[in-house]
Amino acid sequence: MNIVFLTLSAIMVLGAVLAVTLRNLVHCLLALVVFFLGIAGHFFLLKADFLGAAQILIYIGAVAVLILFAIMLTRNISGTEGGRSSLGGAWWLGVGLASSLAGMMCVFVRRSELVTKLPYGATEEGVVKEIGKLLVTDWVVPLEIMAVLLTAALIGAVVIALEEEKKR
Amino acid sequence: MSNLLGKGMIDGLVVTAKNFVTSYFDGNRKDRLFTYQYPEERMKLPENSRTFPFLVYDGTPDQMRCTACKVCETECPPQCIYIVMERDANGKPLLRPRVFDIDISVCMQCGICAEVCPTNAIKMDCDFERSAHGRFETLLSHLPELLKSNDYYHQIKSAEATRVDATRKPVKKAAAPAPVKPMPTPADILTEDERSAWQRGCQSEIGTGPIVWPPPVVVKKKVAGTNTEQNVSAAPLPTGTPWHDSGIDIAARMELAKDRSLADKLMAAMAQLDCQACGYDCRGYADALASGTNSDFTLCTPGEEETKNMLEKLLKEAGKL
Amino acid sequence: MDAIYQLIHDYCPTMPDWLALALAILLPIAIVMGVFLTVFALLTWVERKALGRIQNRRGPNRVGPVGLFQPIADGLKLLTKEDIVPNAADKVVHFLAPVLVVVPAFMVLAVVPVAKGFIAVDLNIGVLFALAVSTASVLALFMAGWASHNKFSLLGAMRGVAQVVSYEVPMVLAAVVVLMASGSLSSVSIVEAQRGLTGWFVCKPWGLVGFVIFQLCAMAEVARTPFDLPEAESEIVAGYHTEYSGFKFALFQMGEYVAAITMGGITVTMFLGGYLGPGCDLPKFGWLISACWFFAKLGIIVVINIWARGTWPRVRVDQLLGFAWKLLLPLSLVNIVAMAVWHFAPNKLVGWVESAVLLAVAIVALVKINAGQTFEKRSYRFTS
Repeated sequence: MNIVFLTLSAIMVLGAVLAVTLRNLVHCLLALVVFFLGIAGHFFLLKADFLGAAQILIYIGAVAVLILFAIMLTRNISGTEGGRSSLGGAWWLGVGLASSLAGMMCVFVRRSELVTKLPYGATEEGVVKEIGKLLVTDWVVPLEIMAVLLTAALIGAVVIALEEEKKR
Repeated sequence: MSNLLGKGMIDGLVVTAKNFVTSYFDGNRKDRLFTYQYPEERMKLPENSRTFPFLVYDGTPDQMRCTACKVCETECPPQCIYIVMERDANGKPLLRPRVFDIDISVCMQCGICAEVCPTNAIKMDCDFERSAHGRFETLLSHLPELLKSNDYYHQIKSAEATRVDATRKPVKKAAAPAPVKPMPTPADILTEDERSAWQRGCQSEIGTGPIVWPPPVVVKKKVAGTNTEQNVSAAPLPTGTPWHDSGIDIAARMELAKDRSLADKLMAAMAQLDCQACGYDCRGYADALASGTNSDFTLCTPGEEETKNMLEKLLKEAGKL
Repeated sequence: MDAIYQLIHDYCPTMPDWLALALAILLPIAIVMGVFLTVFALLTWVERKALGRIQNRRGPNRVGPVGLFQPIADGLKLLTKEDIVPNAADKVVHFLAPVLVVVPAFMVLAVVPVAKGFIAVDLNIGVLFALAVSTASVLALFMAGWASHNKFSLLGAMRGVAQVVSYEVPMVLAAVVVLMASGSLSSVSIVEAQRGLTGWFVCKPWGLVGFVIFQLCAMAEVARTPFDLPEAESEIVAGYHTEYSGFKFALFQMGEYVAAITMGGITVTMFLGGYLGPGCDLPKFGWLISACWFFAKLGIIVVINIWARGTWPRVRVDQLLGFAWKLLLPLSLVNIVAMAVWHFAPNKLVGWVESAVLLAVAIVALVKINAGQTFEKRSYRFTS
C-alpha cells in the first residue's frame, strides 16, 4: 500500500467513473484509456513487466482503436442530442451489481490457490520464459483454440468484406 | 526480370543518389542548382515582368513625357492614380501634372495605364522590393519617386524602350516650365479625422470637412470664368483660341468657337490637352482633319465619346465624311 | 541507474542519499533527452539539405555556417508564433494531443542501449515495451485529428490509425525472429547475442528479410514518406495537425522526428548489432567507441529514411494497406518459419541454405501472386 499504488488506483477509479459518466463518446474512450494505462502501471508495479507491456500493446494499441472505429460509426458522438443522462434511471442497479461482483472477486482471489502457485518470482528474466513455456506445454490446447478462433474471425471478416465488394 | 517487384523503386533510389552526389561536383552550374542566392545574386528579370508603374522622362526630370491627359487615371481599374494638372498663375494648363500619385497598395499591376498612355509616359517597372511598414510613407508614390529616366527604362526593358523610342516623334516641347513645386501630400492637406478615414479606405467621408482633397479651387474658378466669358461673348475675338483650356466643358468650348472656321470648331471639340495621343497637338489635328490629310476622327483619346461625336457631327456638316 | 548511483556515492560520499538517488534517476534522462534532441535538430537540417540536393536545390544555407543553425531559427520562430485554437475545437483534447505525441517517442528511448553499459532502463521486456509504447502514439494522433473539429484533420487521423494498426502486425512478427534468435526480450541481451564477425542479425537470410520488413513498417508507423498519408499535403492539407500552429506544431514535428530516430534506434538494436563494432570492448574508451558505432548505424538508418523520402512518391491508401496485408504479413510469417528451420538445422551452412531458399521461394511466390493483380481504376460511390 504505497503512495504509487494509491495514486495509480485513484487515477484508475477516476478514469473508470469518467468513462461511464461523460456525455461525449470520445472523451469516454480517452477516460477508458487512462484506466487501461492505470492497469498497465499496476502490472509494472507488481514487476509483471510482460503483462504491463502486453496491456499497453493490446488494450491501448488495439482495443481502444477498435472502440474508436466503432465510435466513429455511431451517430451523436458529442452527446449533444437527446436530453437523457448517460447514467440512465437504473444506475443504482449497476452500482449494486458492480460492487457485488467486486466483492465476490475479492473473496475468490483471496481463496484462490493461483496466487500462491503462479511461477512468479524466480528471476526477472524467468517470467517471460516461464510464460512462454507454460503456453506451449500446459496451456497449449487453450492457446490453439484461441488461435483457431482468431483465424476464423479473420476469415469471417474477409468473407464479409468480399460480399460487400460483390454487391457493388 | 524487368518487372521484378521493387526494381523500379531501387532504380529510383539510384537516380536520386546519383543526383545527390553529382550536385556537389557541378553544383556551380546555373542550370543545375538554379537557385539564385537572392540578396547577393539577382536574376535578370525578363522584359515582360512588371510590378508598379513609373513615369518616364527624357533627359532631366523636368522633361517628363506625361501631359496630365488623365487617360490612365480614367482607365485604371482599381482607380489608384490621381492626377492634377499643372497650371500657371492665370490658370492656363501647362501640360504636365502638378500632382501625380499612385497608391501602390491599391495598384493591381495590370499594366493598363502603360497600354493606354498616348505619350508613352507611364511604363511598368520591375522593382519588386516595395515592402514597407506604413501606407503613407512609401506605399503612396508621388511624382518625384515616380519619375525615372529613359535610361533606366532602357536598362530594365531595353527592347521595349528601343521600340518606344523609334515610334516617338521628336516633340517640340514648350520651354521648360517652372520647377516642380513641392506637392501637397494627403498628410499635409487632410485633417486628422479625414486621414484616419482615408486610411480606413472610406474615401467618401473625405471632403465633408473644411479642407477638400483634392483641392478644387482652380478648376472651379475657371469654370466660373468660362460662364462669365460665355455670357459676355457677344463680340468674339476674331483670332486666338479662347477655348483652348481643358477646364472648359465641350458645350462651352463649342459656344466659344461657334462663329469660327471649321478648323477652329474642330479644335474646340478636342480635349485641349495637346497630349499628342493623336500624333499632333490639338491645333495640328484639327487642321489635318479640316484639310482632309487625316480623316480618322477617333484619335482624340482624352476627349472620349463626346469629342468623337462632336468631330463626326462637324465633319458631316462640312461634308467631309 | 545503479551504476550512476554508485558513482555518485563513490565520488561524493557526503551527498545526501535522496539527492544522489534523484541525480541517478534524472541524469540518464537528461543525457538521453539532450543527445537525442540534438540528433533531432541535426536530422531536420540534414534532411532538408539532402532533399535539396536530390532536387537540385541548395537547402537551408542562411543561418550559421552552411545553414547549421536553421533548426534553432525554426524553433525560435515557432515559439514566437501565435497559438491558434479553433473555436469549435475540443480545447482540452486539442491541448493534450501534441504533448502525448512527444511522450511515447521519448519513452521508447528508455530501452535503447546507445552505448556499452549505457541504457536508461534495462527492462527485461525492452523490445516489447518499445513496440507497445510506440503504438500508443496512434491515440495522440487521433486525439489531435478529432479535437481539431476539421474534416481534414479527422481524415488524416483516421488514415493514421488505420495505417499504424495495419503495420503493427508485420512489424511485431518481423521482430519475433530476433527474439527467437536471441532468446530474450531485453534490448541489451539482443545486442549481446549479435557478437561475432557475421553475428549481426541482418547478415542472416531471415535477419535481412526481417530487417527490410521492420524498416518499412517503422517508416509506416512514424508516417514517413512514402507512407505519409496521415499528413498528405496534396490531399488533406496537413492531416491531423492542420489546426495546430506555433509550438504545438513544433511538438508534432518533434514527436514525428524523434519517433523516426527512436524507431531507427530499435532497428539498429535488433538487426544491426546495436553498439557492437570493432573496439567497443576496450576497457577505457569502449563506451565512447560503442556510442560512435551506435550513432553511425543510426545515421545509416536515418539516411535510408531521407533517401526514401526524396525518391518514392506517396502511396495510395489501398496500396498502403494491400502492401501490409498481402505482402509484408505473409512474408513475415514465412520468415518465422525460416528462422525455425535455421534453428533446427544440423549445421550452420545447411540452415543458411535452407532458410535462404525458403525465403526466396516465398518472396517470388508472393510477388507472382500480387503481380497478377493490377490496380484497377478506382470507382467512387458518390461520383458518377
